[in-house]
Amino acid sequence: MLGLLGILEAGRGIVAPPAISGDWNVDFGAPGSCGAGRLRQPALSISQSGTDAVITLNDGRATSFEATVNGGTVTAARFSATISGQSGARVLDGKLNLDGCGPVAFRALRLAAGKKRGE
Amino acid sequence: MLNLFQLVLQIAVILVAARVVGYLFQKIHQPQVMGEMVAGILLGPSLLGWLAPGVSAALFPASSLGYLNALSQVGLVVFMFVVGLALNPSELHGYGHAAVLTSHVSIVAPFCLGGLTALYLYPRLSDDAVTFTGFALFMGAAMSITAFPVLARILTERGLVRSRMGTLAIACAAVDDVTGWCILAYIVVLVRVTNASRPAWITIAGSLVYVLLMLFVVKRFLPAFERSFARRGKLSDNLVAVVVVLVLASALATEWLGIHLLFGAFLMGAIMPKSQEFTRYLLHKFESVTVVLLLPLFFAFTGLRTRIGVGGGHSIWLYSLIVIAVAITGKLGGSMLAARLAGTPWREAASLGILMNTRGLMELVILNIGLDIGVISPVMFSIMVLMALVTTFMTTPLLEWVYPHRLLKAQVEERQENVA
Repeated sequence: MLGLLGILEAGRGIVAPPAISGDWNVDFGAPGSCGAGRLRQPALSISQSGTDAVITLNDGRATSFEATVNGGTVTAARFSATISGQSGARVLDGKLNLDGCGPVAFRALRLAAGKKRGE
Repeated sequence: MLNLFQLVLQIAVILVAARVVGYLFQKIHQPQVMGEMVAGILLGPSLLGWLAPGVSAALFPASSLGYLNALSQVGLVVFMFVVGLALNPSELHGYGHAAVLTSHVSIVAPFCLGGLTALYLYPRLSDDAVTFTGFALFMGAAMSITAFPVLARILTERGLVRSRMGTLAIACAAVDDVTGWCILAYIVVLVRVTNASRPAWITIAGSLVYVLLMLFVVKRFLPAFERSFARRGKLSDNLVAVVVVLVLASALATEWLGIHLLFGAFLMGAIMPKSQEFTRYLLHKFESVTVVLLLPLFFAFTGLRTRIGVGGGHSIWLYSLIVIAVAITGKLGGSMLAARLAGTPWREAASLGILMNTRGLMELVILNIGLDIGVISPVMFSIMVLMALVTTFMTTPLLEWVYPHRLLKAQVEERQENVA
């Protein structure tokens, strides 16, 4: 029991990557941004396992790409964003490269995120 | 909307794959259930989805998996009742110091090692939506489970059930399973309570009331089934239906309380009367459909969620090796050393450790619960499934190597002579 309590105590100081799993509604700011019209809300779906994530676009073809979560940022070949807000109200601010377009700025809000699990 | 043609086709494909791979595994002296678990993985993205993504998407579209999951959950409810029914904690009596020490160490050692591993894996494979406590406790519980049903099947297939080691392994596995499920129930409550709108005290007090009701009220009425069986040599269809309704009611109660419906089914089985004929009759009644039809659906559903070698980069293989090494060290090593310390000869102690290291199906049940409640990530789930497969697969060949069949046969014969 003491050993287990020691492990749990030691683990309190460990920081895990910010949770970004789930569906995201994306606001592209300027209406009619190149290619953004092809996306339906929720425009992003993210599946995360620690520092690795898979981002899927709701573009009818379910285009997906692998990303890395590092501290407060999430980056991929065609995607970069900073992560802000608490786990329950997380926000992504960044740029997305859509097919045939340059980088498009966006702000994304996560839908129905849960509270911290296992408190 | 339910596509009946697709669902029936899925079931047929799953059953054929389960029987074929199960048969092939039997040919290499593995338990059938091991082959069925592998068949489930092969039907998922790890093989079929990788080799023929078009076929996989047509056969198992994401929208159809809800029905498959529902059927497999019904199968698991019945299966957990069967597991509880087969458990007999009184089997621990009479095996003294060795059984008590081995069963306790075989939980504590892997549990603590699982917690230690969590220190390394939490920042790499989890996220801040899960607390370290929840993650570490789950890792500990998942590492310390023993697959009681698979263990019993391996012992039966090798004619070990009546050996001293076999009975000791069964007794320890029974204690491990009960303890493991209690720990898991605590973790599920811990995780769900923080997400639920219902106050925590309702879950905690309700669970306590539920357990007391089951142990001191419901249990008192259950011998009526046994008496009816003793009078007629069987249970009427109406009484079998009552048993099923009781199992479902107990499962619903625990689900409503926020634990999980499998706990209710397990407890209902655990408190049923334990006379040998009655238990055997009920097992026969419930096991066939569950084992042949519904469990393969659960294996397939698990396989469809498992992505071995898909995504996560090369580091996943390193994490998998670490998890497998820790699981084997904690369970096999811990049980073996404890049995040796209790005076069991080295060969028997090693065999006991190997048997206790069998995680099999029970591990998959626990992992699916962990993934459902979000305490482990999809990649962590796949790593743990791989660990469950490896630790189950290695049991039979390792056992044959450490304790060859001829030695076991001689021991059983010697024991029978002593009894005579």
